[in-house]
Amino acid sequence: MITSNLLNDLQMFVSSERIVKAQNGDDFLGNSGRIVVKPESEEEITKILQYANLHNRKISIVAGGTKRGFGGTTEAEDIGVSLENFKGITEHAVGDMTLTVKSGTPFKELQAYLAQYNQKISLDPFYPERATIGGIIAANDSGPKRLGYGSARDAVIGFRIAYPDGSVIRSGGKVVKNVAGYDMNKLFIGSMGTIGVLTEVTLKLRPLPQYESVILLAFPDGHHEWLKSFAAELLDSMMEPIALELLSPTLSEDLTGHRNYTVAISFEDVETSVHYQEEFVKKISPPSVNVSILEKEKACQFWEQFYNIGPKVTETKETEATLKMGVVNLDVIRVIQECEYMSDVHHLKIEGHGGLGHGLCHVHLSGAAEDVKTAIGQLRKLATELNGYAVLKYLPLKLRQEITVWGERPSYFFWLEGIKEKIDPKKILNPGRFVGGI
Amino acid sequence: MVKKSMQTIDKDIMNLAKIVGEKEILFKQADLLAYDCDGFTIHKHLPKAVVFPNSTKEVAEVVKYCNANQLPFLARGAGTGLSGGAIPLNGEVIISLVKMKRLLSVDLENRRAVVEPGFVNLKLTNSIADKGYYYAPDPSSQYACTIGGNVAENAGGAHCLKYGVTTNHILGLEVVMPSGEIIDISTNGVLDLPGYDLLGLLTGSEGTLGIVTKITVRILKNPEAKQTVLAYFDKVEDGSQAVSDIISSGIVPAALEMMDKIAIEGVESAAFPVGHPKDIEALLLIEVDGISVGITEQIKQILEVCKTRNVREVKVAQSEEERGRWWANRKTGFGAMGAISPDYLVQDGVIPRSRLPEVLARINKISEESGLRIANIFHAGDGNLHPLVLFDARQPGQTEKALAAGSECLRVCADVGGTITGEHGVGIEKREEMRFVFTEREIAAQTDIRDVFNPHNLLNAGKLFPSPGRCAEVKKEMKNGREAFA
Ligand SMILES: Cc1cc2nc3c(=O)[nH]c(=O)nc-3n(C[C@@H](O)[C@H](O)[C@@H](O)COP(=O)(O)OP(=O)(O)OC[C@H]3O[C@@H](n4cnc5c(N)ncnc54)[C@H](O)[C@@H]3O)c2cc1C
Ligand SMILES: Cc1cc2nc3c(=O)[nH]c(=O)nc-3n(C[C@H](O)[C@H](O)[C@H](O)COP(=O)(O)OP(=O)(O)OC[C@H]3O[C@@H](n4cnc5c(N)ncnc54)[C@H](O)[C@@H]3O)c2cc1C
Repeated sequence: MITSNLLNDLQMFVSSERIVKAQNGDDFLGNSGRIVVKPESEEEITKILQYANLHNRKISIVAGGTKRGFGGTTEAEDIGVSLENFKGITEHAVGDMTLTVKSGTPFKELQAYLAQYNQKISLDPFYPERATIGGIIAANDSGPKRLGYGSARDAVIGFRIAYPDGSVIRSGGKVVKNVAGYDMNKLFIGSMGTIGVLTEVTLKLRPLPQYESVILLAFPDGHHEWLKSFAAELLDSMMEPIALELLSPTLSEDLTGHRNYTVAISFEDVETSVHYQEEFVKKISPPSVNVSILEKEKACQFWEQFYNIGPKVTETKETEATLKMGVVNLDVIRVIQECEYMSDVHHLKIEGHGGLGHGLCHVHLSGAAEDVKTAIGQLRKLATELNGYAVLKYLPLKLRQEITVWGERPSYFFWLEGIKEKIDPKKILNPGRFVGGI
Repeated sequence: MVKKSMQTIDKDIMNLAKIVGEKEILFKQADLLAYDCDGFTIHKHLPKAVVFPNSTKEVAEVVKYCNANQLPFLARGAGTGLSGGAIPLNGEVIISLVKMKRLLSVDLENRRAVVEPGFVNLKLTNSIADKGYYYAPDPSSQYACTIGGNVAENAGGAHCLKYGVTTNHILGLEVVMPSGEIIDISTNGVLDLPGYDLLGLLTGSEGTLGIVTKITVRILKNPEAKQTVLAYFDKVEDGSQAVSDIISSGIVPAALEMMDKIAIEGVESAAFPVGHPKDIEALLLIEVDGISVGITEQIKQILEVCKTRNVREVKVAQSEEERGRWWANRKTGFGAMGAISPDYLVQDGVIPRSRLPEVLARINKISEESGLRIANIFHAGDGNLHPLVLFDARQPGQTEKALAAGSECLRVCADVGGTITGEHGVGIEKREEMRFVFTEREIAAQTDIRDVFNPHNLLNAGKLFPSPGRCAEVKKEMKNGREAFA
């Protein structure tokens, strides 16, 4: 009954073929809507929000859902706002190297378009085919190349945001340098859609590199001190790696065929500079380390494969989970070692990787639910020991109701809650999706 | 001495002195004069007192005291701010961070350093240079300004084109909140802490959301090589086009600076002349850095671009000494205006790079109409203009005219899709101009955030946002502040 009223009401803003009633109860990831609407314009989005706010309807924002296993403890909210029809480029200022785009645009599509102009967005998120620019930014997703290019914080220069009350706010602007007022952009990056729907995103672009390569260094077992001193020496050199990612042996086996602790180093520059840096790496590599180099397309292919590791967002027999862990740079080695150790002890498939120059790790677990839970607990403990954190980036709904996704509340939670209350006092947007149940 | 005079003074001063120590407080009118303004000298107002805490705990106690007694307060670093952020409009208690100036730790392996807020920007680079590291944000005032002030203003600099501004280099902060509570946001340098990005929000909040007491910054390894090019153009348009061409050719220069004819006249008449020809319309100072073999190619490309854009003369610095002279000439550019004009007003707009020729023409028109000369020094690579309005405050009406011309320049920047400040902040100076770029609703969205952190608005009130009720008062202050320029 309630649902059918809602259905009728929503037809005032969005034509009926873009309103779908969800099937009941087969959604193992949750975070969907009992009714899913697919707005095509910002105006439609704001009307839906205004309506929901007025009538206390809860909204789940879905850009499609690569991150539907990330946060939240409900199967479905009243309304799912899907942004899959809300896509396209609004403005590409080629000479100014800025791009304004609708938030539901898939990342890969954007990169392909920009490549025609020898430009790119300097982000390297996971699942680029399906992930949307809005979802990537709302979840603050980043990959190994964060070392060289930074994250969404460094690439976003402006937003249009539909606020829960249906008003539209612009933050930042369209120029690459801007300190007018508060840096409101930052508030929305990584906010998990809890304080507004990003409708338009303006990004600064970078030129495509003229040349690139990936060097893979496979370290022999039992020589972790080599690994550490190698990483320290490279980081202390004047070389400019774009990525310096440590792969666990299991992951390395999947990607390279060698079951070793492997360091993947990316260089992007003019060709002579890339080769020069490759030579440097060879020179400082310990003697029994196996070095292989992937040039140009081969390097791209390596990363493409890399960005698609992890859970496939479909229900599987085994329980799958992904952890994002943050530690200080070289502590990544300890995290990845722990992964390998635990996969033996707990009969789990654990694939981990982490940036030796930025300290962010991703760990994919797959196995029996109980073992996955134990492993999560252990990795959390390690993160705490290392003064870092572990967040569950992907976990089936049932387990999310048992294990806290975000870990402990930060000591300054009071102010985080204050922000949410100020912007979304009725808590209609992605309720409970974020830290401490925000 | 101090003790005696203390007996006759008000209880707040006594109590504050108890917190920071009697030697760490100023309260006599003569002492307070030095704190009535910052680098923006048009407004002046005396603070109630200036305290110099030596620790985070003392800062927190002062803040708590101010709260309990409804005293307005604000933080101050070196006072080099150009938009009036540290001016005690409401007779604030100024909390000066200059005594908290230690370098707390350097961790080369993980490329980070922890400093107290009063630590001077350039000192950080100087402290780690021998190990081959540096701190990237390099405001021209870096020999004096504090890293706490840089965080508050999200300061930029010539080399921010490639490396980003302050916010891109802050890994963690310890902050005394307006309530006096101390919070630690990732001072150990771990990235992406769960939760809304308070680091990002606080950076650039112009001292209105909290007082920064400890800062963890990213430090970078020196590039393997650096090369610097100086190019002279007969036409501004050619210089602007060269800027666009360089960027769109796929080069990301470390710095790409431009000066126009009047600016060149200024720097050549001041302390660090380098012999630029005085009859050119524009010069570009371009620096590329990175892997040595790579930059040789980039320099070749840059020289070619300049030639296609009719450069009169272009040269590559032949030594570190020559490079240093070119940069000293550029970095002292604002002050150099003092050599050709009794007073000058620095503006700070940003435009899409491609609109440069049009915007310069419009600024020229503003200059003609106001009868005031306007020099242009700017970070051309990222479209950050610094129109310098030259005037003589002794001439009646000129200060107002200069302010109006500055504001018109910002209007032009906003009109072409840019913004009103790229690095100096809004402060007092550009409060009204916020309306050029934001709607009332958008401004309200920002003051809503301020209310979350600073609900009683005791911390640095009256900054950043236009407030209709204040207009009359501000105009009066402007008049009173006129002597400031003499
Ligand atoms: C291998 C693979 C297989 C898949 N298989 C399926 C499948 O079988 N069935 C299926 O339904 N999907 C599947 N997906 C999901 C994928 O198809 C989604 O289409 C993807 O486009 C978009 O999700 P996202 O990553 O952009 O972020 P989302 O997961 O949509 O969003 C991330 C977070 O940001 C919020 N958010 C997103 N956009 C915004 C915005 N504009 N403003 C504010 N907050 C926002 C969300 O509410 C959420 O909190 C699969 C994905 C992959 C990678
Ligand atoms: C000649 C000259 C050249 C300049 N060149 C540049 C340039 O190239 N790029 C650039 O960006 N700026 C430039 N500036 C402006 C200025 O130097 C910067 O804004 C600088 O960051 C201010 O630092 P400060 O320590 O002097 O801060 P102050 O002027 O003392 O304070 C500035 C603001 O920060 C707040 N604040 C200070 N310390 C703290 C703290 N610890 N916690 C919270 N809030 C605090 C104050 O309340 C105030 O609102 C220049 C200034 C001059 C005079």
